[in-house]
Amino acid sequence: MSDRSSHPLDGVVVVDATDASGAYCGRLLADLGADVVRIEPPSGDPMRHHEPTVRLASGEIVSCFERFVNLNKRSVTLDVTNDAGRDLARRLVGHCDVLLDTPGPGDVTSLGLTSEELASLNPDLVRVSISSFGFEGPYAQYASDDLITIASGGLLSLGGYEDTPPISVYGNQTYFAESIFGAVGAVLGLLAREQDATARRIDVCGQEAMANALEDAVPDYDLTGSIRRRFGGQAREAGSGTFACADGFVTMVAGRLGTAAAWMSLVAWLNEVGTEGAGELLDQCWNDHSFRQRRESITYFADVFERFARTRLKHDLYHEAQARRIALAPVNTFADVLADPQLEDRGFFETVADPIAGVDLTYPGRPYRIDGLGPMVVRPAPTPGEHTRDVFEVMLGVTSEELRYLEKEDAP
Amino acid sequence: MSSVLSGVRVIDFCWVGAGALVTQALAVEGAEVIKIESSVHPDNLRLSGPFREGARNLDGSGYFASRNSGKKSFALNMSHPRSREIAIGLVASGSVVTSNFRPGIMERWGLDYESVKALNPSVIYLSMPMQGATGPHRDYVGFGSTIAAAAGIVDASGLPNRPPIGTGTHYPDHVPNPGHALVALLAAIWRRERTGRGAEIELSQLESTINVVGPALIATSLGATLGRPANRVTCAAPHGVFQCEGDDRWCAISVRDQSQWESLASVIGASEMAHDPRFATLRLRKENEDALEAELTKVTLQCDAWDLAKTLQDCGVAAAVVETSGDLFTDPNLVARDFWRTLDHAVLGEYTVGSMPFGWRGADRGPTTPAPLLGEHTEEIARTILKMLPDEIETAKTEGLFV
Repeated sequence: MSDRSSHPLDGVVVVDATDASGAYCGRLLADLGADVVRIEPPSGDPMRHHEPTVRLASGEIVSCFERFVNLNKRSVTLDVTNDAGRDLARRLVGHCDVLLDTPGPGDVTSLGLTSEELASLNPDLVRVSISSFGFEGPYAQYASDDLITIASGGLLSLGGYEDTPPISVYGNQTYFAESIFGAVGAVLGLLAREQDATARRIDVCGQEAMANALEDAVPDYDLTGSIRRRFGGQAREAGSGTFACADGFVTMVAGRLGTAAAWMSLVAWLNEVGTEGAGELLDQCWNDHSFRQRRESITYFADVFERFARTRLKHDLYHEAQARRIALAPVNTFADVLADPQLEDRGFFETVADPIAGVDLTYPGRPYRIDGLGPMVVRPAPTPGEHTRDVFEVMLGVTSEELRYLEKEDAP
Repeated sequence: MSSVLSGVRVIDFCWVGAGALVTQALAVEGAEVIKIESSVHPDNLRLSGPFREGARNLDGSGYFASRNSGKKSFALNMSHPRSREIAIGLVASGSVVTSNFRPGIMERWGLDYESVKALNPSVIYLSMPMQGATGPHRDYVGFGSTIAAAAGIVDASGLPNRPPIGTGTHYPDHVPNPGHALVALLAAIWRRERTGRGAEIELSQLESTINVVGPALIATSLGATLGRPANRVTCAAPHGVFQCEGDDRWCAISVRDQSQWESLASVIGASEMAHDPRFATLRLRKENEDALEAELTKVTLQCDAWDLAKTLQDCGVAAAVVETSGDLFTDPNLVARDFWRTLDHAVLGEYTVGSMPFGWRGADRGPTTPAPLLGEHTEEIARTILKMLPDEIETAKTEGLFV
């Protein structure tokens, strides 16, 4: 086990009352050493069914989403629909540094406590409220999910093929964005609390996180009035884009934002191996960005490059291009990612015996390395209520008698 | 601008993509961010449009401004023999040092973590190499789009029978990588405030990006094949974008339960759909999703996207216009929340930039000063931090050091 004392957020207590849209926030804080206590209703947390799910040989269906976002957290089950449960929720809130929640329309916390009550329970509470539209503003009451957030934040308008409806990126990316900026807000809130010792409620807005992710589309509209549209894998300049090869696709940036040297190197390579039509690319006009941005140039280049790439494997193209200092990468499948030699060399993936799946699960390692931190996995994602007793008896000093009473109340 | 990070000085060697967004956020939260750059080898974003008309130069890029607002610029030619002593003076004064070069560059300049730490023991040092500082691919070059491809995001996004497409942007540069870097940096600052201890943070852009498809990797390691679900999900139908009247206008709709389905059918006046046995339950709507989407589109094509989204939301059905970049400038929610800020720039004139996507009452979450001109703050910083005399500064300029 790693040395917990070296973790940056050692000693910080977090109560996680979020739904799927905010659950990765607590995961990030837990990985950095915070004690993150996830609250689940005794009737079951809907997130435990969130896709992607896998049916195991045992017949058990496991939510890989839930297993991923709950790693390193503790779980308590608490029925906040009754007074005794709400009383325990109050004590927990009084004890924690940070409360994470995802109040839906109506701004009701999943703990059944009002905003005023929370503030009186804990006068310097850092409360992070994560939502699609923020808790202030005309859309605050709107219903939402990942697709609605990515649509309203503009990123969806850039995804998809020219001849199809807009198509969303894989994997609930708005949930990750809201959670990541929720974690940024949580730590900033802790820093601000050091300065003024007052409670604050941090309003995290998914629509805004997406609106900041539109690349040059915002300055483009702002300065020129032009609206950028979806263009599929097609590049906006010869030399960049996603191209077919023998066993799949590769993505390359040897045009815009790439270096002149990379473009020259690419053209030299195509000619070295005698690619039909590559001789034309040696012409001076191809060194000019605006020439390369013409539709005919883009198409001509794509034809030449794909003629070359179609007889080559994506990983061969990857290594050869990189040896020539060209920014090209394979369009990896998830299975390719799991087998990537660079990640293996760095010991990136970690496994942990999972109490629900009954097998070892493979997790991507931390998104960053901080000196002195050992392995990421401290404990597997918990079973529902696995730590109810620990949290209430040890952390809050609730007597076992009180807990027994509660367990009876929780029984169906 | 907020003041939470006031007193934190960032010596910022980041350029182009993800790194610039990290330090822009630090500036918005009150840090003094000093961007080290040079006209000899300019930040690519200064060369990338859109430019203000008539200002196609190193100070005229709106793209650069959108990622560098609130920073100061110090012009330093790192290929000049005296650059190292200047850089050392700066990093010794900073409490945070950031870079996103490939491994070896900061080392070549003698600005690796150990060297900086020797001058400045509590420094927090962030590097953001593409694939980390170790391993067989440590020298591989990349951009957001190639990292997204290598991480599996591109392959999983698109239609099953078409080439993969990803987000259409350099997505890892905009969300996962700056976001994760900020979490780590701020947590390290929090620890330093309590213990005095600095930190070395290495963010491999590939490893950071892989985390936002973490659930898919767990599923794949268990043998699942996930395909490309595009806009569909298993627990809601209809769940997609539907064409509306006008040119390329779309409304996203998500119906998760039976009462939402009934509300949808009734408010859009599609009573046949409500009674169509093919669509009676979620299970049936999922089984007949192609037909469901086709029938619903017949109705939405007659609707204004904004009216439709509002009508549906008013009866509890999740819906939103697929907003374009232009729509976002007038979106009522973003406008009411004061998300967009207008800054006045000496070359660009007025330009618009978004705020941080979070905030709290009483703290400003937007940048308040514009992106710097290249080298705009060189003299001020040389005078106040490096304690240089006016004639020394002048010499440094003429001999090609401060350029």
